[in-house]
Amino acid sequence: MIAGLVLAALAAPAAEYTWSAAKVGAPSGGASPAAQEPVVLRVMTHERWFAGFAYMEQVTEQFEREHPGVKVELISSSGGSGSRDKIKFALAGDLPIDVTWIDVTEFSSFLEEEVLVDLQQYFDADAEWHEEEYFASILAGMKDTRGHLYGLPSTFNPYVMYVNRSLLAEHGIAVPADDWTWDDLLRIARQVTRDLDGDGRSDQFGVSLTQWLQAITPWIWQNGGRLLDENGRVALDEPATIEAVAFLQSLLHEEKVASDDATFANQLSVSLFQAGRVAFYGPVGFWESYRFREIQDFEWDYLPLPRGKQAATAVAMRFYCVPRTARHPQLAYEFVRALAGPVMQRGLAQIGNGVPGLISAARSDAFLDPDTPQREEVFLQVLDGARFMPIRVNWAEIQDQSAALLEQALLLNTLSAEEACRRAAAAANESLQRRAQIRTRAPLGKGWFLAAQALVPLLFAAWLLLRLPRRSRRGERHAWMFLAPWAIGFVFLLAGPALVSALLSLSEWSPVQDLDQARWMGLDQYRRLAADPTFHASLRVTLYYALLAVPLQLAVALGLAMLLQRPARTQGFARTVFYLPAILSPVILGAMWRWILDGDLGAINSGLAWLGLRGPDWLKDPSWVVPSFVLMSLWTVGAQMLVFLAGLQGLDPRQIEAARMDGAGRWRRFVHVILPALSPILLFNLIVGLINAFQIFAQPFVMTQGGPGNESRFLVLYLYDQAFRYLRMGYASTLAWVLLAMVALLTLVILRTSRRWVHYAGRPR
Amino acid sequence: MIWLLIVLFLLPLVWMVALSVQAQGAGLEAGMASFPQGVHPENYAAAVEQMEGFWHLVGNTTLLTVLSIGGQLFCCSLAGYAFARMRFAGRDVLFMLVLGTMMLPPQVLAIPQFLLYRELGLIDTFYPLLLPTLFGGAPFFIFLFRQYFLSLPAELSEAARVDGCGHFRTFFFVMLPLARPVVGTVAIFTFLATWNDFWSPLIYLNSPENQTLTLGLAAFNQSYRVAVELLMAASSMILAPCVLVYFLFQKVFIRGVRLSGAKG
Repeated sequence: MIAGLVLAALAAPAAEYTWSAAKVGAPSGGASPAAQEPVVLRVMTHERWFAGFAYMEQVTEQFEREHPGVKVELISSSGGSGSRDKIKFALAGDLPIDVTWIDVTEFSSFLEEEVLVDLQQYFDADAEWHEEEYFASILAGMKDTRGHLYGLPSTFNPYVMYVNRSLLAEHGIAVPADDWTWDDLLRIARQVTRDLDGDGRSDQFGVSLTQWLQAITPWIWQNGGRLLDENGRVALDEPATIEAVAFLQSLLHEEKVASDDATFANQLSVSLFQAGRVAFYGPVGFWESYRFREIQDFEWDYLPLPRGKQAATAVAMRFYCVPRTARHPQLAYEFVRALAGPVMQRGLAQIGNGVPGLISAARSDAFLDPDTPQREEVFLQVLDGARFMPIRVNWAEIQDQSAALLEQALLLNTLSAEEACRRAAAAANESLQRRAQIRTRAPLGKGWFLAAQALVPLLFAAWLLLRLPRRSRRGERHAWMFLAPWAIGFVFLLAGPALVSALLSLSEWSPVQDLDQARWMGLDQYRRLAADPTFHASLRVTLYYALLAVPLQLAVALGLAMLLQRPARTQGFARTVFYLPAILSPVILGAMWRWILDGDLGAINSGLAWLGLRGPDWLKDPSWVVPSFVLMSLWTVGAQMLVFLAGLQGLDPRQIEAARMDGAGRWRRFVHVILPALSPILLFNLIVGLINAFQIFAQPFVMTQGGPGNESRFLVLYLYDQAFRYLRMGYASTLAWVLLAMVALLTLVILRTSRRWVHYAGRPR
Repeated sequence: MIWLLIVLFLLPLVWMVALSVQAQGAGLEAGMASFPQGVHPENYAAAVEQMEGFWHLVGNTTLLTVLSIGGQLFCCSLAGYAFARMRFAGRDVLFMLVLGTMMLPPQVLAIPQFLLYRELGLIDTFYPLLLPTLFGGAPFFIFLFRQYFLSLPAELSEAARVDGCGHFRTFFFVMLPLARPVVGTVAIFTFLATWNDFWSPLIYLNSPENQTLTLGLAAFNQSYRVAVELLMAASSMILAPCVLVYFLFQKVFIRGVRLSGAKG
């Protein structure tokens, strides 16, 4: 029966499997509609559970009707890596994607990598294209410096403020006018902030501040600050910017009238705004109306952001574009037009996804919806002050770096506004300079990588060829037949790549480029790593985790093993249970522990609250996040425990008995007899534990994405970021080698010193 | 004491299953540790429905798992036998090399391997996940096979040779059947490692039709439109085969882990 199941399971995906294997090798081109095979247009967009997916299908069906012989395949952009990065994996793997959506903040990096098709020629050739049908200020976000248009908007989201009208009315405060100011915000926030339950901590706030970089930039612009100066340098350290960040920091930590529940990571939880405990929420886009429409208990509305020295706002947006890997660019262009057409635009507006970029749809009732009490027109009103991130700069990495630094000022209050801004600017400019520097280096040429990959296999083959005929012993030839699968793997998949990795660590290459574009950087890479503040943070966090987790794991594993030592029925059952968590996938582990450790609703804190205690906000508190991961790891020490148990059961009972006769108590027997006898096993578990601790990845990837700040950006997580988010395969390889060197060094030190404390049976102590 | 610990270790799993049958939204409403209100097994059906192509993911993961087990067994048993029972120059040096590669963090090789498979046009296929099992295998499994073959009496293979069996027939018909315990251990560990793997599918598998359960779950976990209860239902379903195998083959498991420490 099991065989039947396996066969059944094999049958279905096996077809896909061969298909996908064949697909990669398929020749590009062949876009001719006369071809007999149906043309497949591969489109990477919304997840299938997205509320607007039905409109997507509607557009697709119509497109297929109008283009006989064309089949549109909708590919969800979700799946492990997160929708922002998935397209990068597709581009890096040279997979055929005809249309994709990208976040406007990524536009500059895609431009720089030259992975998008310049659609201007297609627009020019299209008689039905009328640029004036879309908001000019929105299209501006999708144009390069020459004014060429690269895509069309799905919907866009200017940042505004949400206001709880009922709460203001309750406190006798009038809803501010559209031209309200920072001072108004502060004044009202002070009036509203209260400690309702009298526990000494405020639980009703003036404002719930969003804190990702795009949400912070409006404050900077309003205060007359700028992201870039006229020389193209990141200007986050200019006084106007520092002043804006300091204002936010004071709202949060001095005035204490702002709550910090609205971080990006927190969007999953019920916000204070939904709970009716905060007067203003923002800066944030129209997308929140999707979940706020369910609010029954109070009236709310939209307001423009309060003005500083001027009115300004940022715009969040995803747009549809055509990547370089498209097999059918003309059809892809036409599908982009269809996606940005009235059906999708009105539909998405209706479900509260964003503001339509198509003017007629934005001015229609689908968006302005007179039936709702809210004033949707506010979003159109603020368009005058709307700006995008400058496209001359690659923001992908800068955004993450500065977000982590600004988080330290705003969320954690561990840095002053000035210091955070200064460091963010320094890091950003370093990153810019480096990108410029990479471009000046000479390309390395594919040949070097090929040589590195082939060197070991060639040497190995030569050695075998020289050796085998000379001795010509049958036994030896047979042995090599047995070893062949292993040896092939060893030379091609291990030794070759190891050399390639060493070469990569001395160069820089973006996986969306051809390998010929790799550039030689030499030891610069290692020098840069030594000075990289994010690497320092990452190293510190990883070492801290290892230092805490490894000894505790050993202690817990040994303790459990000692408990299991006596053979009894309970012990057998207990052994089963103690090992059980060790079989969990780290992804499941992450998914469940995120909700066990959640600050407000988590199982642990709910339990503690029941006892009248208040637990920490485990994963969001910088001093608790690493211990949280340690705690999780202690739950999964099953393997180490079993190894200890085997060792304990191999002990010579006479020796322990002898110690007992000599009058040694439990503790002395443990320290002087059991522990020395177990020391070889202790050494083994120590080294394995250490290696595992340095490789922790999936849990923080699933649970915290490295935050808060950089407090859980473990080394492998940073390596992944560098390789697949910022597309720096070279620098990531540098990191990998430093990681390897550190693990090897630590292991060596432990092995060296182990001679003093490890006692092998039969040898004198 | 021991019972307290048993409860403590079981609690998170029991909590997960309990939460998975709560009414959708109950956790966010009343906290994750509130007392269960009614049982909603239909959450499982809802989770299957909301997770994109759930059965397809199951199929992919199963296929990968079965093929990986086959690959590991083939490669590691042959290599282990050669290291244990055959004579060739450089045997001991090579075996040290095998053990040495155990220390290598997979991330060091991840990038150049990605590059290699990319140049071969194999990204978004199962090959990058399968080739390393068939060619190379896991050093630890080679070690297990070698130790086991070493422990078998030499007369056995010699008797087979006298009866006219070649090396291959001796191996496949005499020695390998005797190594059943190690075969079981390797199969089960490979099952768990492949079923639970996140890193390789994350890097290599892109199209929805090629993805695995762990990727599906990670995507599920990122979507804030998914109720926590459904997330737990999906997690429970993905975990179930592992638990089943664990309880069925517990002895094999425990022997395997112990063997791993034996060289300490």
